[in-house]
Amino acid sequence: MAETMGHSATATRNTSVAIGFCLLAIVPQIFEFIWSIGTIFGWGAGRGPATVLISHATALVAGAPAALIGAAGGETKKASSEVLLALIYSYPILAVAIVSLFMTIRSAQDYVGGVILMAVALFALWASSDLQGMRGFSFGAGTAPRMFGGLLVALSAGIALTGLLTDGPGMSHYSWRGPLFVMAGIVFFALAIRPLGLVVTAFASFMIAATGSNETRWLEAAVVGACLTLGCAILFPYVLGLPMPMFPRFLVQ
Amino acid sequence: MDIFANLAHGFAVALSPINLLMCLIGALVGTLVGVLPGIGTIATVAMLLPITFGLPPVGALIMLAGIYYGAQYGGSTTSILVNIPGEATSVVTAIDGHQMAKQGRAGPALAIAAIGSFFAGCVATVLIAVLGAPLTKLALAFGPAEYFSLMVLGLIFAVVLAKGSVLKAIAMIVFGLLLSMVGSDIETGASRMAFNIPELADGLGFATVAMGVFGFAEIIRNLDAGAEMNRDLVQQKITGLMPTKKDLIDSTPPILRGTVLGSILGILPGGGAVIASFAAYTLEKKLAKDPKRFGRGAIEGVAAPESANNAAAQTSFIPLLTLGIPPNAVMALMVGAMTIHGIVPGPQVMQKQPDLVWGMIASMWIGNLMLIIINLPLVGIWVRLLRVPYRLMFPSIVIFCAIGIYSVNNAPVDVILAGVFGLVGYWLIKHDFEPAPLLLGMVLGPLMEENLRRALLISRGDWSVFLTRPLSAVLLAISFGLLLLTVLPALRAKRDEVFTESEN
Amino acid sequence: MTSIRALATGACAAAIASLCAFVAPSEAQTYPTRGITMIVPFAAGGPTDVISRIVTSHMAQTLGQSIIIENVVGAGGTTATTRAARAANDGYTLITGHMGTHAASVPLYPKLAYHPEKDFEPVALLAGTPILILARKDFPPKDLKEFVAYVKANAEKVNAAHAGVGSVSHVSCELLHSILDIKPVGVPFNGTGPAMNALVAGQVDYMCDQIVNAVPQINAGTIKAYAIATPERNPSLPNVPTTIEAGLPNFQAQAWNAMFAPKGTSPAIIASLNAAVIKALDDETVKKRLLELGSVIPAPKDRTPEALATLVKNEIAKWSPVLKPAT
Repeated sequence: MAETMGHSATATRNTSVAIGFCLLAIVPQIFEFIWSIGTIFGWGAGRGPATVLISHATALVAGAPAALIGAAGGETKKASSEVLLALIYSYPILAVAIVSLFMTIRSAQDYVGGVILMAVALFALWASSDLQGMRGFSFGAGTAPRMFGGLLVALSAGIALTGLLTDGPGMSHYSWRGPLFVMAGIVFFALAIRPLGLVVTAFASFMIAATGSNETRWLEAAVVGACLTLGCAILFPYVLGLPMPMFPRFLVQ
Repeated sequence: MDIFANLAHGFAVALSPINLLMCLIGALVGTLVGVLPGIGTIATVAMLLPITFGLPPVGALIMLAGIYYGAQYGGSTTSILVNIPGEATSVVTAIDGHQMAKQGRAGPALAIAAIGSFFAGCVATVLIAVLGAPLTKLALAFGPAEYFSLMVLGLIFAVVLAKGSVLKAIAMIVFGLLLSMVGSDIETGASRMAFNIPELADGLGFATVAMGVFGFAEIIRNLDAGAEMNRDLVQQKITGLMPTKKDLIDSTPPILRGTVLGSILGILPGGGAVIASFAAYTLEKKLAKDPKRFGRGAIEGVAAPESANNAAAQTSFIPLLTLGIPPNAVMALMVGAMTIHGIVPGPQVMQKQPDLVWGMIASMWIGNLMLIIINLPLVGIWVRLLRVPYRLMFPSIVIFCAIGIYSVNNAPVDVILAGVFGLVGYWLIKHDFEPAPLLLGMVLGPLMEENLRRALLISRGDWSVFLTRPLSAVLLAISFGLLLLTVLPALRAKRDEVFTESEN
Repeated sequence: MTSIRALATGACAAAIASLCAFVAPSEAQTYPTRGITMIVPFAAGGPTDVISRIVTSHMAQTLGQSIIIENVVGAGGTTATTRAARAANDGYTLITGHMGTHAASVPLYPKLAYHPEKDFEPVALLAGTPILILARKDFPPKDLKEFVAYVKANAEKVNAAHAGVGSVSHVSCELLHSILDIKPVGVPFNGTGPAMNALVAGQVDYMCDQIVNAVPQINAGTIKAYAIATPERNPSLPNVPTTIEAGLPNFQAQAWNAMFAPKGTSPAIIASLNAAVIKALDDETVKKRLLELGSVIPAPKDRTPEALATLVKNEIAKWSPVLKPAT
């Protein structure tokens, strides 16, 4: 009885793990797509969202299998970067996702950790695939990244395997409020420091980051934030002599 | 007897009121820079360089040197209190130091770090004065092959200092190595894994990644629901400020060993000083009767690396003073300071500028004395800082880190990258990966790759150079032995585990 | 004590000057009315940085405004140069360019985000640092003629050190190799310090480097110099022959440093900056300090913006056939 229950529990769990990995397999593509939306508003250069979507979709669905068949047939045509991404990164992760469905995961912490690390390694392999390899006796730019990328794939596979073979802790709980607001504070700081200057930015970032905790008392935080801002405004530019804009640009000029 | 005459002359120079003042300013600024997360020594020395224009050269260099070793003192403070190592050398201190702080023993940890640093600084200063010139040969004996082997040894140290799974520790090192490869390739100038982002052209900065995986990740983790309990506990548990008699007895041998290791490794230009602190930690962990205590608040794990990194910070002046070659970026800036004053350091600087060289050596001892006088009373203030409610503490740390990272290159992208690494660090914690080996892999990675490639270029692709050069062979043999010592018990444990399971 | 007094006087003067600037900004419409930022694309303390600091500290007196040096390091100086190219062309952001950022970078980085001629207004040449051919002290050849013969005969065996792709030592050694028509192994180091360390330790055979770094080592006998790649001998190394004397007249290289402003900066501003540079170069203390570094101070006819424009043009033409793209 207990065994069937345990089994069904892992089964549902495995489906979500597998779906998670499928998403992981196309994270770079999604990221580039989101990034490309910015080009509509004229932020940054690069391809538009439509081009990105079409090129990745064709690479994933048609280009990569064609390249595989071509390679099997002995063709050595240079594959495009999208096709390489699909081949080097997406397909192996998708394969792992499918395999996960049929496995008993004994330590989700290790298994999922290992697979995500493997994704990082595969991504690094793809990112260094355009670099030159060995040139005679001397290393090319790409030799070391590929060497260590390959090593990391093997090591992370080992970690994932440990997660299948030995019992260990399951997934830990991730919370969202802390990471979200702390990150928001950091990003705001990065975007605002140049145009708005240290005083405004430090205070605003302090308040945004403070939102990340449910213990925050607003009045207290505002007072401490103001004092901290004042302290920073004296300490960094004057005591340490770091060149930093102090006040918003539109007020100075 | 020449040395005594020289030292006496040095003290006469260093004890002049203006030089004493410069030394004090340097020590104070250094402590401040070390304590503030993110602001690196390099950035500060670079910023303060123009000020030294108007100062006499000896005073200027005494001040810059003070900032350099003062930052080593200060750097341990943030590592211990908030788990944010500001320099590569204090990554190791954070491991046991912060655990001690969590157990309410931040006071003893800070005090022992200061005492160890002071002792190491004194010994290393004497060493520079007495053996500086002969020790220079060591710096010249290390070619690319030897450096590569030293870096391999360094990475093995990084495995040993991990407290959890060996496999995960090695994976983290390799992850760090991969991160270190982002940026321009040294040999061809080709851009590697930088995705045409100009800010990545020179690679990821140490401060960026360290603030992320240690600083921001720790904050995010502490904000998790349920983490409040632990935090409040820390605040109530704070006990004595000063180390107990037992602490002092426990720390004495590690301080001595750390000082010796640090003094030797510090002489090697380029990377020697970085390895010093974790070589010392590894040694202590291997010598300890109960290595399990390490990573859980062992005072030896603070005393040894802190002594080692301060000793190394002092002896790293040797190549500069005897050869005129700067062994690291901060020293390169000091060379800059000398050139601005019309002194071009070279092999003859000891004969031509006795005021400068011996004045600086004497000032180092005085500076170390000042630092311990400044730092021991500060321990009480730092510990009191831990009583600040976390809801106010964490946004402040975020702001300090953000300003610090921004100030390194004046690049907003660095701040965002640090945030991203904060999320990466949060993920690492959730999957029980340790960030320290990752950082060490990242610091040592470029040194290892560059020297490997240099060695192979010079040997025309012959890999046997690493074994035929005696120093390199010895270093590799030590690495191999250490790896075996580390991996074998782990394998045996695994096998036992597997056997017990199969019996069930 | 004198220094403190000087500092205090300087501070007072600066305070009064800034006060005046604050009180009467509308009356004093003449450039400059506030502090100028000078971007130096290399680390503080390097040759380019030291030259910039020496010259700008005198210029600040002439212009009556402070000049703040901002060191922006990265990618062989191209990061900083890109930033300067995009800066406002109001004369308040300037850059010290050098042979690498404003000439060699063009063939080296095909994807360069700026063009030295199209994106900058030349202001004035500041100073040049001569380049030397150096070797480890026990390298067999005794003089430059023997060196050329030896390196040509043993091109497969010798190792040339350089301080990283795009550095002065790398670029100038490439020029030497192209003149000699050889391709020896180039061993890259991370900066001049480590490269010099390897040369002193005898791990590499030779390198080309700027005079500043080499003089003390040559004087101490830890390395030797074959020739200096300038038309005249240098006062700090009177015994080192020029490449012309020693039989390799084609090898002429100097790490020149010059001041540039973003494109479109008004001619009046350029003229006043140029005048300030010339005044600084004629100052005795500035001259003395530059000469102590082994620098070459440009002759009066080479100090005009036009002369600098010609120099940049010629240098790009000179390096383009020698250097291969980095990627």
